[in-house]
Amino acid sequence: MQMKVARLVVAAAVLLLLFNANLSLGQSPGATLSGTVKTAAGAAIANARVSAKNQASGAIAEAQTGAAGVFTIPNLVPGDYEISVSANGFTAETTTVTITSETPPPVNIALASAQTGLSLSDLGFSPAQTQGSAQDQARLDKRSHMLKVHQRLGLITTAPLVATVLLGATAGGRRTSSTDRDLHAALGTATTGLYVATAYYAIFAPKIHGTETRGPIRWHKALAWIHGPGMILTPILGEMAFSQKSKGEKVHGLASLHGPVAIVTAGAYGAAILSVSLKW
Amino acid sequence: MATALSLLAATDSQWVLEQSTLSYHVSHPLHQVDGVSHAARGKGVCHEGQCEFLIAAPVKSFDSGDSNRDLHMLQVTRGGQFPMVTVRTRLPETAAASGSIHADLEVEFAGHTAHYKDVLFQLSLQGNQAKISGTIPCKLTDFKIDPPSLLTVPIKNDIPVKVDMSWRRQ
Repeated sequence: MQMKVARLVVAAAVLLLLFNANLSLGQSPGATLSGTVKTAAGAAIANARVSAKNQASGAIAEAQTGAAGVFTIPNLVPGDYEISVSANGFTAETTTVTITSETPPPVNIALASAQTGLSLSDLGFSPAQTQGSAQDQARLDKRSHMLKVHQRLGLITTAPLVATVLLGATAGGRRTSSTDRDLHAALGTATTGLYVATAYYAIFAPKIHGTETRGPIRWHKALAWIHGPGMILTPILGEMAFSQKSKGEKVHGLASLHGPVAIVTAGAYGAAILSVSLKW
Repeated sequence: MATALSLLAATDSQWVLEQSTLSYHVSHPLHQVDGVSHAARGKGVCHEGQCEFLIAAPVKSFDSGDSNRDLHMLQVTRGGQFPMVTVRTRLPETAAASGSIHADLEVEFAGHTAHYKDVLFQLSLQGNQAKISGTIPCKLTDFKIDPPSLLTVPIKNDIPVKVDMSWRRQ
């Protein structure tokens, strides 16, 4: 009986293995299509845009040729694709390709020049002005990404900041209860943490050389010189005030500046947000 | 005027862009933005009655008054990789006779080419100078540009480009 069960188990395991193998053989989880884009004369065309559109699903994958005119589009499922190629100064081309294996044969495309006479050099533009670079674009992309995160974190920080300021009205004074004070301190800590994260993304976003700072962003940057130091001073003074209150003392000395510094800081922070949100 | 134009049609000629103002318009619920460039260069070559024009401007020359916004625009339009916007068109030399032109434009921008048919331009001819003005009805989707957003609200798809140009015949 045990032998019979064992054989059944082995048979089931073998069937299962065969089934899985069959599945994996039938699937090509990531075919890579590569090729070249060149002129009719055989010169490589850099920065040509190549897109592969799956004609069954409509999914589009894109790539760009490098300096040698070579492109690579990974992770394509088997099927029929419409390959479209375009490049500045050339007539766009479209062809169809059927992918059946993980390494389909390369697709080599020649583009005809669209320029019958005039080119950018005829207008007096230098190659440095007319040729872009992937590195420049990557720098711009990183900058934009970091500033978007900065913007979102900055808006998120507004909530605990406002709550901290509002609770500040009941956190000090003659009240002896520590609940509001503890909550005020906790919210203040959260605000400080979020603020530091917000500032990080702004400070370390890549700078684009050769650009002059113009417009409302100047105010946004200038106000940082108020709320930045304020966000350092406020928790320090707050800690001093917290300690004094915890000892049953009235807040005095430098610690009494905690409230005014916090108000100025919050005001500058709000003005910084408004400076880039509204049109003045 | 007709005699002058027919004389023009008989010989090869060139046109040079002397002055230009190109401005794009972007709409957002909180902002209406215009970015202006005076850095376009252009040339027209006329041969056997047909003229081919090429106008180009660096994408980073467009100034909306806010450098942060302009840099973001540069990034969204892939200006690091495709730093120029170009417009090509072909016109018969006699097109200038009517005072307005309907032109088919080929615009290359952000790594894509879009075609605009029958775009109306007003034309004023004074001797060897021609002043042309009009609006190209561009859309972000024409160039596969993801619409940027402010405070999570995206800008509108329409980005019409107003064109004012002064050309001189050489």
